[in-house]
Amino acid sequence: MRVWFKFSPDIVNKAIISDAMRKFNISFNILRADITPKGGKMLIEIDGEHVNESVEYIESRGIHVDPVKKVLKRDDEKCVDCGACVSLCPVKAICIEEDWSVGIDNDLCIGCGFCTGSCPMKAITIIE
Amino acid sequence: MKTIKEINQKIKNGDALVLTAAEMTEYVKENGVETAAEEVDVVTTGTFGAMCSSGAFLNFGHSDPPIKMNRTFLNNVEAYSGLAAVDAYIGATQLNRNPQIGMDYGGAHLIEDLIKGKEIELVVEAYGTDCYPRKEIETIIDIDKLNHATMVNPRNCYQNYAVATNSTDETLYTYMGTLLPNYGNISYSSAGQLSPLLNDPYFETIGLGTRIFLCGGEGYVLGEGTQHATEGERVNDVPVSPSGTLMLMGDMKKMNSDFVRGATMQKYGPTLYIGAGIPIPILNQVIAKRTAISDEEITCRVFDYGIGRRNRPVLKETNYKELKTGKIEIDGMEIKTSPLSSYKKAVEVAEELKKWISSGKFFLTEPVNLIPSKGYTFNPLEIKKPSILIKNIESKPVIIAYPTEEISDVARKLVENNINHLPVVNNEGKLMGIVTSWDIANAIAKGKARLKDVMTKKVIIAREDEPVDVIARRIDKYEISGLPIVDKENKVKGMITAEDISRLIGETAENDNEVSL
Ligand code: SF4
Ligand code: SF4
Repeated sequence: MRVWFKFSPDIVNKAIISDAMRKFNISFNILRADITPKGGKMLIEIDGEHVNESVEYIESRGIHVDPVKKVLKRDDEKCVDCGACVSLCPVKAICIEEDWSVGIDNDLCIGCGFCTGSCPMKAITIIE
Repeated sequence: MKTIKEINQKIKNGDALVLTAAEMTEYVKENGVETAAEEVDVVTTGTFGAMCSSGAFLNFGHSDPPIKMNRTFLNNVEAYSGLAAVDAYIGATQLNRNPQIGMDYGGAHLIEDLIKGKEIELVVEAYGTDCYPRKEIETIIDIDKLNHATMVNPRNCYQNYAVATNSTDETLYTYMGTLLPNYGNISYSSAGQLSPLLNDPYFETIGLGTRIFLCGGEGYVLGEGTQHATEGERVNDVPVSPSGTLMLMGDMKKMNSDFVRGATMQKYGPTLYIGAGIPIPILNQVIAKRTAISDEEITCRVFDYGIGRRNRPVLKETNYKELKTGKIEIDGMEIKTSPLSSYKKAVEVAEELKKWISSGKFFLTEPVNLIPSKGYTFNPLEIKKPSILIKNIESKPVIIAYPTEEISDVARKLVENNINHLPVVNNEGKLMGIVTSWDIANAIAKGKARLKDVMTKKVIIAREDEPVDVIARRIDKYEISGLPIVDKENKVKGMITAEDISRLIGETAENDNEVSL
């Protein structure tokens, strides 16, 4: 399961994640982390048998958990197949096809949003 | 040898052979230049990309009582109306006057909406004269209500363009799109082998009066565009950097929004994507050979846009075939590339123009004056008062700290010197990090003792040889209050604060006022 963890700065020093790993025997993979003095968010892949219980536990200790189930939607009327979004995608979910049209693979997309802001035509939106 | 007149006769008879520039490349490979020059009559080119130097003259007609428009707003985007009474020029990069909208809807978007036939809010202010007594207008118009909507673009169809990347560790938002930090990506913008001026590199067929495809309608070349340059280095006859340009015009009432789009470059501003295609008559073998150019033969240069100066270093020479593979290599790094202009749309433009000609709807024109191919350079703007470099300004003696220092000592240093930032350096004086009063307060609260555990290692810096304006922009962008000045060896030379900058820039502005009075 892929989720966003959002937390405030006072939580940084607590060992919540390692506690959760021990308690529920789950594995964590940090895909992205943005941590600032004002708090932070991390994109996490959680695996294991007791994922749901672990998420409940983590929430109970003060981390806000947002499951990622974002779908990228492109407005084909607006898109001009320029390709500006291609090199911005960190997971190669966007590519230029044989006929020079630009294709987006929703299965690979992690919803980071790099492409949405940078599209000159504002053709891409992320919907939950 | 053929003449344009003969080619037009063939178009009329329906037996002209018309190929797109991409097809011509293949045709010449298979049949040779000699056959191509004989058989092929016209090669159509195409491009679809961001062309900031674009806009349109609009004529609104007279109201009753009449008005002499002084300031004119269309959907809150200002059009320049310092021409006669009811003419205005709307520029593509003009921002919206509503700061909440700003870059998201500017001149370029307005032009697209006009072409789509949408209703537009018109607001006019005037000072009133005896012959034009009216002082304001608020109404709704659309393109059909305008007497004229003539697109006149001072600079389009750049002959080749720079390729951009970014060496710094900050994301840059530029007219070349978003450039990720640490050579995270590369952005290029040219239709390559389809691009009009790369197929006629010495302007042997294009000139004032050349009829073209412009944004889905017919347009004309008015002459060379602004910044037209002819003296740059060439490889395979084509310039390796931005060179020739065209000034174009066309009737907006006949355009089609499939081939013209308002766009916004993130944190840069609005720009207009324009589809333009130029037909090249194959008059002889030389022209045939030039239109056969392939992506591989068009050299272009990669520049580091991380350097905010006019002269940026060239990182690599590459070509459009390489760029189109989606990645290129620089110094052992593999970097993802992406185009800013649409090759797919460029193909559509060239195909559409080919269809027009093949079906006898579009005839070639004899240019009145060819675009000059010699004697033009694009000169820089020299500012009388050169920009002040960081090393020219007087900075206070620098107070530093070492990573092994105790937090309490550092706190004392900050208080005693009445400062908020302290660069942390190693024994050689090289920058390792920075601490602020906030970090220290935080560290004390958490009971941390060593400076190296609390300092910020990613420091935004000012280099000695950077202009003050560049640093002012950096301070704004990161909303920081100060940054350390370092030399080439990363040794700390001083600190510069937002206050220092505003004092400096304030002074300059005052001096400027004196001069202009
Ligand atoms: S950047 Fe936008 S317009 Fe360009 S290809 Fe991607 S989605 Fe389409
Ligand atoms: S949202 Fe991020 S991951 Fe998804 S396609 Fe856009 S850039 Fe790629």
